Amino acid sequence: MGMMMTIEEFSRIVYVYGAASNRWPTNLREECGEFLTHNATARILLKQQSELEKLLDQIEVPEFPELERRVLIQELPQNHGSIIDKLLDWLLPENDFGNQIWRPALIACLPLVFGILLGNYFSFGVFFEENGFEYWDDELYMLSLNDYSENLF
Amino acid sequence: MTDEELMLAVSNGDQTAYQIIVKQHLKPISHYAYRLLGSRKDTEDIAQETFLKLWINASKWRADKAKLTTWLHRITHNLCVDYLRKHGRLQSLNGTDSIDNGEQQMDSNEELERGGKITRLNTAINRLPEKQRSALMLCHYQGFSNKEAATIMNISVKALESSVARAKRSLRKQVIETDEKPIRVWNEELETDDGNDDDN
Repeated sequence: MGMMMTIEEFSRIVYVYGAASNRWPTNLREECGEFLTHNATARILLKQQSELEKLLDQIEVPEFPELERRVLIQELPQNHGSIIDKLLDWLLPENDFGNQIWRPALIACLPLVFGILLGNYFSFGVFFEENGFEYWDDELYMLSLNDYSENLF
Repeated sequence: MTDEELMLAVSNGDQTAYQIIVKQHLKPISHYAYRLLGSRKDTEDIAQETFLKLWINASKWRADKAKLTTWLHRITHNLCVDYLRKHGRLQSLNGTDSIDNGEQQMDSNEELERGGKITRLNTAINRLPEKQRSALMLCHYQGFSNKEAATIMNISVKALESSVARAKRSLRKQVIETDEKPIRVWNEELETDDGNDDDN
């Protein structure tokens, strides 16, 4: 069971959702209905609100016969959706930028990745010094030729 | 074609898709602008600007974020608010249409009285603060849910509900509760309104 209905709460519901009870929140309809049967102020409020809504419905808006033609023939800019605009929109979206932060981060990392790739393929004049042993087997072989007999005595 | 397909086409420069969208959405957009601005000329300017913005920013619309009509109303709303801030107080809705309709129907005292109430209601709506007026228009006339209207106005649902409630309370007090004036007074008011552009 919800809280006790008050005239303040009832008036809030009527103002926010309108006078028609079928638009009221479903969980409050029964309570509002019961409140109405026992509260004369609520009935007056509902009647006045209903009258106000009927009056609001009677306010009409004029027709705009030339407007459609005017909107359709207006000059539309030619530079529609350039690649740069699309790239910028993708990079810095107006909505939900927080979840799309990886996009500018990815772009910021591109120079680093590019540098690694470039460095991997081109030496730019820097060479490793050869130590003379091409293979591990050769090194072992050379070690085996050492004379350790002197150290035994 | 769905809104998504149409907007994709528009973002690729398809003018036929643009025309379809204009035909679908022009009426609610122009009505909303008129209810906020109360001027035919300004309404036409704002509606034109809204669809120009649609053409330019079509690629920015996200179907998963908002319906196309919500997005368009938001553009219109922002343009109208900017306009009102630049040009001061909104203009009176004493445009000939609603009052003319009332005059044609004045066959009985009851109808005269109703016409008087509508005039008072128009005046009371004009006096509402911009936020309350927008909230009322979006929820009552444009048929948006409270959540959608809050999105359009870029405020919380609670703030929107508060604005709607204040607007309706204010209108009820000004138009329904004080309904004791004789009909003759309304005629005098109508003449005064015709004489003055707006009552600020």
